[in-house]
Amino acid sequence: MNMDAFTPWLDALCGRIDGMVVACSDLAQRRSRIDLPSEELTTLLEAAKGEMGFVHLSAISCVDWIEEGEFELVYHLWSYEQNQLLSIHIRVARDLGRFQSVYDLYRPAGFFERDIHEMYGLYFEGAPDMEKFILTEWNGPPPMRKDFDSEAFVGETFDWQQYNPEWLQEIVAAGGGVVVPPTEQRFSQRKKVDGPDWSGDHPQAKRGQE
Amino acid sequence: MSRVFDELTNFARARSLFILHYCTGCGAIELPPVMTSRFDMERLGVSPMVTPRQADILLVTGYVSIKTLKRVMLTYEQMGSPKYVIGICSCTVNGGMYWQSYATAKRLDEYMPVDLYIAGCMPRPEAVISGLRELMKKIEQGEANSWKEYYRNYDYYLGNQQHLFGDQWQTPVDVIGEAEHYGLVGDGTRGEHTALLEQVQHPLKPLEMRL
Repeated sequence: MNMDAFTPWLDALCGRIDGMVVACSDLAQRRSRIDLPSEELTTLLEAAKGEMGFVHLSAISCVDWIEEGEFELVYHLWSYEQNQLLSIHIRVARDLGRFQSVYDLYRPAGFFERDIHEMYGLYFEGAPDMEKFILTEWNGPPPMRKDFDSEAFVGETFDWQQYNPEWLQEIVAAGGGVVVPPTEQRFSQRKKVDGPDWSGDHPQAKRGQE
Repeated sequence: MSRVFDELTNFARARSLFILHYCTGCGAIELPPVMTSRFDMERLGVSPMVTPRQADILLVTGYVSIKTLKRVMLTYEQMGSPKYVIGICSCTVNGGMYWQSYATAKRLDEYMPVDLYIAGCMPRPEAVISGLRELMKKIEQGEANSWKEYYRNYDYYLGNQQHLFGDQWQTPVDVIGEAEHYGLVGDGTRGEHTALLEQVQHPLKPLEMRL
């Protein structure tokens, strides 16, 4: 098996699997991105592992696209024979909250899926253990979901103490220091910083309209 | 006569302090220079100690996540009195740069009484040394009595701990018993939170030894 076999294999795979989109870049020749319908994931993983030696699942990452109602799962695979990195992107419905585990193909997936279940609340069927992993003291909603408001949670759970010593008052009187208390410092309530207006007659904006 | 004896004790205590070698967060990185030859805290009679039962000072050097806070509480309660707590870095004051985080506790003094804060992100070794000198001065004058506050207001601290850790929270240390032993039972020692603790408390069993 040589390194030149990878690109033809990828081309042939596009014919075998419906709805598969491959994106490669000239800048990163050892990386390929594959977008795929979620039901074809196992087919692709089996082919990649069995035919091209993608034996190393280095991570599964998750993105919460709350406006589209989907979780994006990214499976990062590495092949020591091809020296190639495959990023397999799939989308899973957010409301359903369930997906199949790939533990039977890749053992490390057990940890990654347990982590995703804890942080995003996405349950993986067939995974060996979906118990708490890192957040053992946590009873709230999965904290990495976009609809979890960390600032509001902090505001409800914790108190602040007044910290305003004399030396700080002197600095504030001279026009320096932090004058915004934490409760008013929420990013969602903060005013936008003055800068160039990108919405109006900027050349890039015009190009988009035409 | 007893006052003279107290002064002598305080003088001796202030000059033989052992810092527990337990560090949280990033401020711990400032401690090796404090300990070693450049800033040399041993010239003040301060030196590191490996076990909580033999240590005098608990340095909390940075953010405490809720998980870490549990361990810090267990460590603090195991230390023998008199014990002193120093909160280093802004995180122990008000959460510091982690003020938005769901996972870190914000105010250290809600969970244990703090003698001294050394603010900064992070404080330089000079600041740590000056903080230690400040603590020594307080001990010598008999003002570093925050450990007594823990016994007098145990209900308040326990309530805050239960708020974070859940109602099942218990430690191996019998704090009320210790408060009675030291004669430090105050109005705030017992309350609704300690009543809850007595309800859920189950006796500790020895750990199973297995090879």
